[in-house]
Amino acid sequence: MTQLVWNGLFVGSFYALVALGYSMVYGIMKLLNFAHGDLYMLGAFTGFAVLGAAGGVSVTMALPLLLLVLVLTMGTTGLAGVLLERVAYRRLRGAPRLSLLITAVGASFALEYGMRAAAGADPRVYPVRLGGTSLEVLGARVTLQQLALVGVAVVLMVGLNLLVTRSREGRAMRAVALDPRAAALMGIDVDAVIARTFFLGSALAGAAGVMAGAHYGKIDFMMGFLIGLKAFTAAVIGGIGNIPGTMLGGLLLGLLESFGTFWLGGEWRDVFAFGVLILFLTVRPTGLLGERVTERV
Amino acid sequence: MHKIRGTALAAVMASLTLLTAGCGQGLLGSDDAGSGENKDEPIILGMLIPQSGSEAAIGPYMSNAAQMAVDEINEKGGVLGRKLELKTADDACDPQTAAAGANKLVTEGIAVSVGGYCSGATLPTLPIFNKAGIPMVIPVANSQELVDQKLKNVFLINGTGGQQAEAAAAWMTKDGAAKAALMHDNTSYSKDLALRTQKLLDEPGGPETAILEAVTPKESDYSANINNVLAKKPDYVYWTGYFQEAGLLARQFRQAGYEGKILVGDGSVSPKLIEIAGAEAADGVYATMTQTPETLQGAESWIANYKQKFGSDPGPYSNQSYDAVRLAAEAITKAGGTDGEKVIAALEAIDGFSMFSGPLKFTPEHTLSTGGFQILVVKDGKFVLQDPLQ
Repeated sequence: MTQLVWNGLFVGSFYALVALGYSMVYGIMKLLNFAHGDLYMLGAFTGFAVLGAAGGVSVTMALPLLLLVLVLTMGTTGLAGVLLERVAYRRLRGAPRLSLLITAVGASFALEYGMRAAAGADPRVYPVRLGGTSLEVLGARVTLQQLALVGVAVVLMVGLNLLVTRSREGRAMRAVALDPRAAALMGIDVDAVIARTFFLGSALAGAAGVMAGAHYGKIDFMMGFLIGLKAFTAAVIGGIGNIPGTMLGGLLLGLLESFGTFWLGGEWRDVFAFGVLILFLTVRPTGLLGERVTERV
Repeated sequence: MHKIRGTALAAVMASLTLLTAGCGQGLLGSDDAGSGENKDEPIILGMLIPQSGSEAAIGPYMSNAAQMAVDEINEKGGVLGRKLELKTADDACDPQTAAAGANKLVTEGIAVSVGGYCSGATLPTLPIFNKAGIPMVIPVANSQELVDQKLKNVFLINGTGGQQAEAAAAWMTKDGAAKAALMHDNTSYSKDLALRTQKLLDEPGGPETAILEAVTPKESDYSANINNVLAKKPDYVYWTGYFQEAGLLARQFRQAGYEGKILVGDGSVSPKLIEIAGAEAADGVYATMTQTPETLQGAESWIANYKQKFGSDPGPYSNQSYDAVRLAAEAITKAGGTDGEKVIAALEAIDGFSMFSGPLKFTPEHTLSTGGFQILVVKDGKFVLQDPLQ
């Protein structure tokens, strides 16, 4: 039982990290950025390239080195996210939402197959792996490295929450999310705020990508597709646009999958997870913590 | 006036005849070898293989070996005095891409198809080649579904799912397994193999099935599935899917504290499995597999030739692809031309043609009479022969 909970929370923390970017971008510009999962993939490959450039490293140095790679990758994928917004979305500001959505799907394919052209279709394996010296905690097998990864995820999420709720930049983001036009009238540079949002969301997805690469080992150009869908589901469950809600949604989806597999069997896991998505979309589209938004004119 | 009309009519008649002749050429482009046409034209063999997508690594192993067979035959004077030529097309292990590739090969006028790796992608190409009257010698794809189509142009020279299931059950029984967990990825080939193995395990004697577990391919975290499997306390796990998940599963099973044995199907036999799982977790993983170049008896010179030609070792299914080309050439020779019907008859009549898998004779279902599956094991970072199961 505790094993089920731990498995769910571990997978869920990845979902939550990726889902945050989805949720923030949606909150600010009402865009479902379907290319977001591919930024996770981009992060995994960036980390792979940086590690490759660092050359052979002893195992004892693995954790500090990975942290350094993590920071570098977050910067790179963050900038990639900003670039993506600049190239693919900014010109469509004010265009019908459907155009943005279709552009997002196009951007997703461009990233996936661009990576395939650049790195090949073969899966790659991380040169530095987080091994597994596992210990028993309340009957569940947990590795120290898993704990470290969850710790990093928690630190990133708490940091993000502080940034959004306590800083000037965060206040600007919230203002733009509430009403972009009014925010612009108050002297907020909306484009800059949107770029910043993309940077933060993409950096988190990139961090999740590196962590997945280091933990699971295998990366390939399509790895962002499925997790992108799962992250979207997590964001909807928790309340898209709402940051604590999204984190909750990620963890909850991880738990749902873990218990769904246990109760119904492996072939029903995705049916169960996406069934919950449909349920939420029909019964409570604002998600668990999302507020009911009064229709704005 | 009358005369002119007559000439016009004749001209129309003539062009009509030409047109129908032209059509005949296009539709049945390959059957004119028998009627003694242009001897300079090469006989074209078509090969659908994954050159992109998740299974792209396999493509070169197959096309290189096929090209090697073509070159060897051409050095000896070709087939019926004509040169052989190999044309490849990408199936990306994807049904739609495969169908497009098959249509392309048909318009290029191939005489025999010698490709087919992923069963799911090969399946939709069967009716395309069948309609065009092109015989298929399928080197690798081996799902029972291909056999169940009952198309007479389809010949499988790899062991079938049923034969592989027998090998898996035989090995687990021989190795003293008590409870086996069967895991598949819900694709046609993998599920078929798992279900067939389960059926065999249901019979008295040998291990019983602990659980039948399906996973979603292309994910990274299988801890939920592994948790399910371990709750049933199996001492053997048989994974029937492909190598990427096999590597992740082997690693995650060990991390979850599983100490029993792991057996994988032929789709998982790849050096990438060992790389993904890591040397430690991959060590001791068993596999049900048809012959690979490394486990072939007396193939040293063949391997050396391959290495000299392509600068790398042959890989999984190189030998089957090589044999597919040789078999196609043999059948065309016996048929005295490239007429589809005659080549099919020649393939059916073949008895004792020597291949890596042994002397060939097709069953009425156009499959091998014995699968030739053996058990490999990962040792020192490589798949080596554990038991030939003879």
